[in-house]
Amino acid sequence: MPDFSLSPEHESLRDMARKFARTEMVPHAAECDRAARFPEEIYRKAHALGLMNLNVPAEWGGSGLSLFEQCLIVEELAYACGGMTTSIIANCLALEPILLGASPEQLKRYLPSFCAEYHLASFCLTEPGGGSDAGAIRTRARKDGDEYVLDGEKCFITNAPHASLYTVFATLDPQQRHRGISAFVVPRSAKGLTPGKDEEKMGHRASSTSTVRFEGVRVPAADRLGEEGEGFSLAMRTLDMTRTPIGALATGIAQAALDHAARYALKRETFGKPIAEHQAIQIKLANMAQAVHAARLLTWYAAWTIDGGQKGTLESSIAKCFASDAALHVADEAIQTFGGYGYMKEYPVEKLLRDAKLTQIYEGANEIQRTVIARELLRGYS
Amino acid sequence: MEIVVCLKPVPDAETRLRPRADGSRLDPEGVKFVLAGYDESAVEQALLLREAIAGSKVHAVSFGPPRWTEEVLRAAIALGCDTATAVESAGEEAGDPIAAAEGLLGAVEGMPHDLVLLGKQAGDDEEGLVPGALAEMLGMPHFGYVVDLHWDGAAQRLRFGRSAEAGQETWESPLPCVIGLQQAWNDPRTAKLPAILKSRRAPIAKVSPPAPSPERAASVPERFALPPPRTGAKMIAYRTPEEAAQQLVRILKEEAKVFP
Repeated sequence: MPDFSLSPEHESLRDMARKFARTEMVPHAAECDRAARFPEEIYRKAHALGLMNLNVPAEWGGSGLSLFEQCLIVEELAYACGGMTTSIIANCLALEPILLGASPEQLKRYLPSFCAEYHLASFCLTEPGGGSDAGAIRTRARKDGDEYVLDGEKCFITNAPHASLYTVFATLDPQQRHRGISAFVVPRSAKGLTPGKDEEKMGHRASSTSTVRFEGVRVPAADRLGEEGEGFSLAMRTLDMTRTPIGALATGIAQAALDHAARYALKRETFGKPIAEHQAIQIKLANMAQAVHAARLLTWYAAWTIDGGQKGTLESSIAKCFASDAALHVADEAIQTFGGYGYMKEYPVEKLLRDAKLTQIYEGANEIQRTVIARELLRGYS
Repeated sequence: MEIVVCLKPVPDAETRLRPRADGSRLDPEGVKFVLAGYDESAVEQALLLREAIAGSKVHAVSFGPPRWTEEVLRAAIALGCDTATAVESAGEEAGDPIAAAEGLLGAVEGMPHDLVLLGKQAGDDEEGLVPGALAEMLGMPHFGYVVDLHWDGAAQRLRFGRSAEAGQETWESPLPCVIGLQQAWNDPRTAKLPAILKSRRAPIAKVSPPAPSPERAASVPERFALPPPRTGAKMIAYRTPEEAAQQLVRILKEEAKVFP
């Protein structure tokens, strides 16, 4: 029988993340959002408690969690602040290509020293001219003896101004599209690597996002991940692994919106009774609750599929796409439940809408997710 | 130094509590029992001493039904305690301080113990009887309300403060002794995620409690009731501060009758 109950182990992970989220993140979420402040002290604490490199096996200094366990934690963190969560889990995204493509020698060289201290890593795929169309990237890698020389620009890179390590996707030959792309590990100290200034964002304002410029950055061949031309496949396999936690992140935002709305509806009175007693609001809350439940279960299902050894491309795309759409919808309805107060920055729900919006865009825009879902789906019919 | 830290499972502050159907006591059904409050400070103190004194060990002991003690002991292991021992009892006995002290006594006597640490009182009923009772049964001196505990290796003495009404007393004691700690003065640490995972697989030793001494009558609570629900706050609508003050004065006078 499929079993939806959590083991005591799962419960203790979730409780620990919940405690961290409520005691360390919640008190600063509004302030960091307002001021677009990157709360490094919170991220340092998250690292110290093992909440940062969740997907890195324990033997390399990470927490070694299954995807399902990662999702339990990410949902709890995102309940407190979507932006902080994005910055906390960005290492999982940036390190996944290393976990998937690095040689044993490279794993040993990169991971233990990186994970032992507070370090951030950035995943550098998206470019000004190519987000969803990752095969069209223009950042060039030229072979020069035992080195590669990188030139180009990446954009919308999470944590880039604060990172000490970058996993970079660059092409040896743009004509070859996907087959021309290779992946490299580049330290912050590399000459010619320059993160841009922090972008001013609509939401996720506790997170930091910038461009990264590469001007004649020399990378030893020993820092290439996998073979030449394997970069695109590495990027896609990475996103297969990290898409599901974005479903969990969106679920956390949606749950927060539902909780705020339900509590407010029981308190706020119109026409002589709490608005929770009006059917118009009850129907709203019921629909929101359905969306939250479905988002969580789809996320758990995708995680369970991938933890079981399957690729889970279809399942993770469905989870990410559905949960992020649900988060936006539920946050929107939470604002509607609050009425005019919901539109005010003094109340917590408008932030949820702004934070939810990004989950539809990053780690594969939902249009791409639907393309993937349709492709995987139709494969079963042809 | 062999340090024993005794921990009482207390209801999670976030659980909704309700009385049992017969109204006699808390209904434990569905309640999560956790390590909390004073006991967290006791664990932190034990770990600080272990870090300061080479070769030390910390042994966690808890008295109560297995479902209650397991969570508390796993939390203690996740924080860094070396061993965990559960003294199994029925839920009824867990709230009886003398039964708890007797239960803990058997476990403590069965392990090396230079120092016994506890929260000065439990985080739920706050009776504060177990540390003194256990010390009496062990034949050791007991100190309560303890803060700032340190081991003076040269003098082979514990040095500590006791928070008193008018200030802080400074004390010293040889080992062995029993110490009840004040809450939260030492900023208890948070367990790390890998340690939490590992703690789920750690062994927990089980000990049966001694038969209750025949000359002692067990304490039996008669009635448990939740505090009456709080009445809602009243919002005052106003346009100016003067108007708010006038309304407040009127309400205090006419409705609350605080002054004539």
